[in-house]
Amino acid sequence: MSIFLQACVNGLLIGGFYSLMGMGQNVIFGVMKIVNFCHGEMLMVGMYLTLLLSTHLGLDPYACVPLVAILMFLLGALIQHTLITPSLRTNSFTNLLFLTVGMGMLLSNLALVLFGSEYRTIPTSYSQTYITLGPVNLSLPRLISFGVLIVISIALFAFLKYTTTGKQIRAVSQNPVGAEVVGINAKRIYILTYGLGTALAGVAGALLTGFYTIFPTAGSAFGFRALIVVVVGGLGSIPGAFFAGIFLGILETMVALFISPSYSDLIVFVTFIVILVVRQLIIIRRK
Amino acid sequence: MNNNVKAVRAYRRNLSIALGLILLVFVLIPVFVKSPYVLNVFVLIFYMSTLSMAWNLLGGMTGQNSLGHAAYMGLGAYASCLLITKAGANPWLSALFAMVAVGLVAGVIFYPCFILRGPYFTLVSIAFGEAMRQFIINSSFFGRASGVGLPFGKDSLLDFRFMSKVPYYYVGLVMLLGIYLLMKKIERSRMGYALRTIREDEDAAAAIGINPTKYKVMAVVVSAMVAALVGFFYASYIRYIDPELMVQAKSTESVLPAVVGGAAYVEGPLVGGLIMIPLSEFLRAHFSAMLPGINMLMYAVVLITVIRFRPTGILGWYMHSKAKDFIDVKVLKKPPIEVLEAVELEKNRGKEA
Repeated sequence: MSIFLQACVNGLLIGGFYSLMGMGQNVIFGVMKIVNFCHGEMLMVGMYLTLLLSTHLGLDPYACVPLVAILMFLLGALIQHTLITPSLRTNSFTNLLFLTVGMGMLLSNLALVLFGSEYRTIPTSYSQTYITLGPVNLSLPRLISFGVLIVISIALFAFLKYTTTGKQIRAVSQNPVGAEVVGINAKRIYILTYGLGTALAGVAGALLTGFYTIFPTAGSAFGFRALIVVVVGGLGSIPGAFFAGIFLGILETMVALFISPSYSDLIVFVTFIVILVVRQLIIIRRK
Repeated sequence: MNNNVKAVRAYRRNLSIALGLILLVFVLIPVFVKSPYVLNVFVLIFYMSTLSMAWNLLGGMTGQNSLGHAAYMGLGAYASCLLITKAGANPWLSALFAMVAVGLVAGVIFYPCFILRGPYFTLVSIAFGEAMRQFIINSSFFGRASGVGLPFGKDSLLDFRFMSKVPYYYVGLVMLLGIYLLMKKIERSRMGYALRTIREDEDAAAAIGINPTKYKVMAVVVSAMVAALVGFFYASYIRYIDPELMVQAKSTESVLPAVVGGAAYVEGPLVGGLIMIPLSEFLRAHFSAMLPGINMLMYAVVLITVIRFRPTGILGWYMHSKAKDFIDVKVLKKPPIEVLEAVELEKNRGKEA
């Protein structure tokens, strides 16, 4: 029983990261209808940024989070402005897809060129600290990260729901032409959304560094799970993405516990295909 | 009218001579080039371009962006390798079996997935590739993560086993040409028109009586079969395969020649492959010892640059460039388009009568 509870909690803690990644992907996909295939690589960039900031400025990994968010927002805005917005005009889904795929290749190989393939960690005084709650052991860095990402999720939800800019983002995602008609600058919203999505991925990376190793392809597993979260949680739904991420995290740890850890990836991918097809079948039936 | 016919015939003859000369150069390369390294680069060009053509049938022609082609290639490689090592089958027969098996698997798995459109198909193809890789890693029958090796031995055409790279060069060239002609045939057939209609507008295609699901399944089956053939070729050439063959990055690599060359053209993957693969190999050979990853980094830079500034690919740019006009008019003596159409019309009228 205590193993089961422990697995549940571990799934919850890692699932939070899938949620955060999924929310970023969700905002981008919702607004521009493009799948951001370099989302995982953005998480990896966030990790290396945290590594640089903490080794050169001596900052605590968690103190780097706001800085990483700002830098990643700027990176995302730059990519959107120079590459994606001009390519949106060609209206070719293939080109947009491979633009983000190429961006992902560029970033992960740039990291390989700059930092090599070694696995790195950021040692902290509290990285091996555990808190015991009844039958469950909680790693302190994981707990702090989870707390921070809950706060970010709520802030994002509130931002999209209540602020003017958030309302503009939702307007563009529902109807880009209609939004332009009522005077919303869609290009500005595109830059803002892509920056926001990238910043969320970067923050997820920064929060991971407390207990995860940093290497050039660290992001790919998270990148694909973010796509699963978007599809399962539903487009444009921030709470949906949140719960889908948690569900995915718990599913993974449950498979690892009851079947075998080496099967968890296989089960996740197969579940994803099944959910995707069943969901589409339901949509067709309703019509 | 007679002059027109003559002009068109002369143009066709010039075109055949030009294409024949290019082919002759490729046939003669192993006679003059003895360096195994250079020959290896050519073999790489041949099979990667073939794989990219397989992708292009589904991605460029049908508009279904698959990111799982390394999985079909890997499955083809595994199916043929296991038949050779476990059942002692002849490699050529095993290739045939691998193609049929992978085609069937792809058809059965993607049949329900084709109700999904746009990015959803891409996501399923990635998930399928990863699921297959994880399945092989976890299956002792498939040799888990350590892979499967093919037996070494004396040179033999029957066993498709050679010490020298020259036979692989010619088999690879024949495979490339064969698949190219097949793709050209498909492009001009009823299926090709149906696929391009589906790419432009699926609902419109359905409205004029094209069954989108049927044609998409046909495209995915043919595409997977070609990829499986490439997998067989790869396994026979390298003589060792492991699940790393099926990683996501390999699927992306198989798409690049098509997108850089021009995904709207059957020749796109050939042009892209001829440019990208020597570039990548050059960078790998000269820089990767100092800076690992530099070749893929350059690959990515070229990809992004082409998409950003030449969205129709290198071939798309060439098709509308002055260079093509010059070659057409001055070298090949291409008659004006009106003359070509008039002759074509005359020929068709003759057929009907």
